[in-house]
This record gives sequence, C-alpha cells and structure tokens, in this order.
Amino acid sequence: MARASQIKRISAAVAGVVTASLIAGTVFGEGTAPAAPAAPPVTAAPPAPFSPECQGGSTEIVTESPLPNVAAALQKRRTVRILAIGNSAGRRHGGYTRQIERILRQVVKGADVVIINRGVSGELAANASLRIKNEVAMNSPDLVIWQVGTDDALAFVPRDEFAETVQSTITWLKEHQVDVVLAGLQYVDRVAQDDNYYRMRELLREIAAKEHVMIIRRYEAMQFIAAAQHAGGFGQDEFERTEAGYNCLAQYLASAITLGAFGKGLSNRPLRSQPQSPQQQPMQ
Amino acid sequence: MQREANAIDFWRGIALITIFINHVPGMYYARFTHANYSFSDSADLFVFLAGWSLRYIVGSPHPTRPPRPTWYLVLRLGGRAVELYAAQILITMIAIAMLAATATVLDNPLLLEWHNAAAVFYDPILTHIGLASLTHHLGYFDILPLYVVLMAMAPVFAIIDRYAPHWLLPISIAVYLATLIVPLPVPTWPVEGQWFFNPLAWQLVFVLGFVLAREDGVGGFVRRHIVPLRWLSVPIVAVSAYIVWNRMWPDPTLAPHPRLLFIADKTYVTPMRLIQFLALMALFSGTYPYIERWALRFVEYGSMLGRNALIVFCVGSVLSLAGQITRFVYRGDIVVDTIVVVLGIVIMSICAWLPEWREQVRSKGSAQPSPVS
Repeated sequence: MARASQIKRISAAVAGVVTASLIAGTVFGEGTAPAAPAAPPVTAAPPAPFSPECQGGSTEIVTESPLPNVAAALQKRRTVRILAIGNSAGRRHGGYTRQIERILRQVVKGADVVIINRGVSGELAANASLRIKNEVAMNSPDLVIWQVGTDDALAFVPRDEFAETVQSTITWLKEHQVDVVLAGLQYVDRVAQDDNYYRMRELLREIAAKEHVMIIRRYEAMQFIAAAQHAGGFGQDEFERTEAGYNCLAQYLASAITLGAFGKGLSNRPLRSQPQSPQQQPMQ
Repeated sequence: MQREANAIDFWRGIALITIFINHVPGMYYARFTHANYSFSDSADLFVFLAGWSLRYIVGSPHPTRPPRPTWYLVLRLGGRAVELYAAQILITMIAIAMLAATATVLDNPLLLEWHNAAAVFYDPILTHIGLASLTHHLGYFDILPLYVVLMAMAPVFAIIDRYAPHWLLPISIAVYLATLIVPLPVPTWPVEGQWFFNPLAWQLVFVLGFVLAREDGVGGFVRRHIVPLRWLSVPIVAVSAYIVWNRMWPDPTLAPHPRLLFIADKTYVTPMRLIQFLALMALFSGTYPYIERWALRFVEYGSMLGRNALIVFCVGSVLSLAGQITRFVYRGDIVVDTIVVVLGIVIMSICAWLPEWREQVRSKGSAQPSPVS
C-alpha cells in the first residue's frame, strides 16, 4: 500500500514536471506540443506545479473537487465544452480563457477543448445567473467557469442576496449535469482592509465548501504576488500584478480542470492554511 | 420651435431616467423600475420609440404633401448615424478617462477591470481599433452602438417603406427569425464575445416602432383594435410580472429547438420578451391621457427629456458611471443612492433644458428688429 502510494507520488512528480514545462512553455510562448498519435486515448498528466509567481505560499489556492461531467464528456465525446462567465479577459494573446485552452490542449491528450466566452464585464451575479441558464440551454457546456463576487462586492450587493443567487445557480447547474469552477474575488492592496470585501470572499468560499464545488482562491494568489513584489520580486506595480493574477488564474483553472476530471479522491481536501481577516493581514 | 409635450417624448424621457438608474448596479432605486416586473426593460422602450421617431423624419408612405426626396432622407439618416457614432466615441472616451482617473487616484486597478475597460488599458493597440469600429463596447455603454447600427440601417428601412411599404415588416421578421434560428451572433473584437444587443435581432423592435407609428397598415390595425388588444395584454403583462417577481423563470433547457424562439433572452430580444413588451406598450399607452390630465407638469418635464434624448442619454450614461464610482467610494447605501439619483436627474434635466433655453433666446433675438436696420 505504502509502495503503491510512493510510486503514485513519484509518477505524479515526474508527470508534474513534464506538465509544468508544458505550462511554462505555453505561458511564455516557448512550448512545442509533440505530435499526437492517431486516435489516442484521452489521458492527462497530473496537475502541474504552477509557475513561480503563482505558487501561493502556504495557502492552498485551488480547492479541488471532482468534475464528473467533464470527465464523462472527455471519455464519451473526446471534447470538453467550457462556458466562461464573468469579467472578460481583455488582454493580449486572447486573454486568460485562450491560455486555459492552450494549456489544456497540451496537458489533456487526445481530446478537444472548446471554450465559449460569454463574459460580460461588470455584471452582477443576479444577472449572470439568468444568462448562465440560457447559455447552458444554448451551448450545452460540461463546465462553467464563473468569475464571481468582485463586482457584487464593489457594488455593495447585500450578501444574503448574493449567497442565494450563487447557491441556487450552482444547484441548478448540478441538476443539469454541468460542473462548476468558481474563480473568487480579486486582490488589490486597497481592498485588503475592506470588511465588506473580506466577508464577500469568505461567503463565496463557504458556498463552495458547502456545495462541494471547486474554487480558485484568486485573492490569496494575488496577495502572494503582492507580497513577493513588496519583497523585491517580480512585478512593478499593482497594474502588472493584476496582469500576473490573470496568468495565474489561467494556470490554476487548467490545473483544477485536469485534477477534477482525472484526479481521484480529491474532494474535501483540507486547506493548508486559513485566509487572514483584514485585521490580521499585514499592512501594505 | 420646440415640439409640444406628447406621449412619445414623455415615455422616451421616462425610459432615459430608468436606463440611468438601471445602469448603476446595486442601486436601491433600481427595484422600482419596471425591469423588476417585466421580461422587457427600458432598452426595449428606448429602441422602439427611436423607431417610432424615425417616422417623424421619413413621413407617411402615402403623404398628402409631396414627400421629401429619397436622397435627402438617405443623407439625413446617414448624418444622424454619424452623429450617434460621434456621441458613442465621446462618451466612451470620457468613461475610460473616468475609470483611469479613479483607478489612479484610489490606487485601485480593480476599477480598470470594470465594464470591459481592461482591454483598453492592457491591450490598447487592438482595442482602440475595436473602439473606433464599434466592435468593442464598455459595459453599460452598449445601447448606443446598437442605435448607431440601426440608424445606419434606417435609410434601407426608409426606402423599403417608401417603395414597398408592405414588405418592410415581413423582411424585418425574416431577418429576426433567421438570426434566432441559426443563430447569428454578432461578434465583439478584440475581446472574444458577442454584442450584448444583437442588432440583427433588435432591428425588429426598431422597425416595429417605425411601422406602428403609421396611421395605416399595421399601425392602423392596432389603433382600430386597441381595446381588445389591451384586454389581451392584461394576462400577458400580469403573468410575466408574476414570473419575474417570483423568479419563476421557465427552465430554458426544457425549451424545444431552436431554443432562442422559446426562451427569454435580452441579447436576441426573443419572442417571449418581444410579445411581453408589445403587450406592455398596448396597456400603458392607454395611461398617457390620464397622466397628461392629472400631471401635466410631469408630462412636460418628461417630454423635455425625450425631445433632447441623445444629449440626455449621453449625459445619463456618463452619470451612471459617476454614480457607480460614487457608490464605490462612499460605500453605497440608501442615502448615497438617493443623492446619486437626485443629482443625476437634476443634471440630466439641466442638460435637456439648456439647448431649449438657448433655442428660445435665439428665436427671440431673431424676432426682434436689428438695431442696425
């Protein structure tokens, strides 16, 4: 048993290094995908370590849960359809959804990845909820990536309303055999001391835990980038940090999807550390 | 000489105020706008009345007086489309500057993420091409691009209306149905997505306003049968209000194919939404004489906003963004929301009143004999 576990860890590490190099290649534009054999089985390397700026210290950034509908779609159709909802990533090279697509195409072998981008920037969860249902009806995705919470927090939407909207939408998606990955609130220094913002992201984390859905804890990831920057690391200002945050988001999501579709026994894995309250957070 | 207060200008003025309120997300007073009780909202009303107003320019297909030459109409409508385009570019640039200034002053790049503005700052080369070519819209600044496209289509509508008036509505419905059945999204660029208001679908709302404004044809039919149509509208409006208020939206995945014909969707202004909107129009058009009788000052005020729709719309769009920034800075609550709404409406009113006042001064000045002569 212990031997099997050791072999699993070693093979995961080896595959992880391979996948990491693929991700790094994709992110930095230096990767070359090996030619795919004819009619390959759908396989995936285990999740990759993230690029240095995306390794969020001791905090677990990706809270994994299985993505059974993505796994089923890959095995059945060799295609996974992903609906991206939330802030549009208006960035170079097609934004973070294109980056996810590129990473997944390299990591998940023998399958096609289709991303349907329906981001409406500034949209509150209540409006997004209605649109998600229509888009599911129109596009039959296997997975919804939902960037949610930042705009509701900035617009001071009552938290009970927000929770009810997110929870009911997740329930609806589950009932319709669609997996969900939530991308949580963003971080900038200015909101670190904001009580409403803190409560909103805590609420989203609680909803994700209760509903057993994946959440990318973007706030913590971006906080790590900020801390590294303050310590003289990469990035020069908050604007660059936001850009780096999106790069990391793409890596986390690609990793989460790979884990969720191919990983076993990942649900409810305990967090390595708890997020800090505004009072506990270091002054920026 | 300004137009007398009338129903079209009045309802247009009301639509402008509600668009302003609805474009401040989280705003307390948004719950009192009809979007919370209806499949359709102020956007439908605004586009429909824009189509209705087009009739004032184009005139009747069976005029009693000699009609304006076709080339004149094409030039005038084309000129109007250019004017709307210029307004869209202006308010977009103001909005970008407001977001950039606020983000810089507050040292908060989250504000650059608002409303699809991120692309302007992070991918400026392509995005500026997109802004100028109307393929990139800021969130909540996406009605005017639709209006520009509709006004660019207006010469075609006017020509068909003049030479084959019975064909206009069938052609418009055919384009609408093709857009929903295929479906035909209108893509945005460089940020991947689609127009929030699909012009190929929304043109039907515009054309409906245009043809219903006619005294004959479909418009005449509706006028002759308005009472039974209103009775028919009552259950449609009541049921939709019940569904929206109680969030009992039918499951769109249960709808038959092609699904856009059977679900409620704003981008494609689907039949469910369109029929409810027309029912709402039929019902509420009957209230205007009573509002005029009992609240003439209010009607005159609403009509003043409607007469100056473009300037009020532009100012309202910028003010709604200012309202969002204010709510963010001062942590939106009912007091902040009240100040935002009151100040916003006052500024919109001043901006509607100023051109009319200037026109009055000018006409008075030209009426007086020149001291030189």
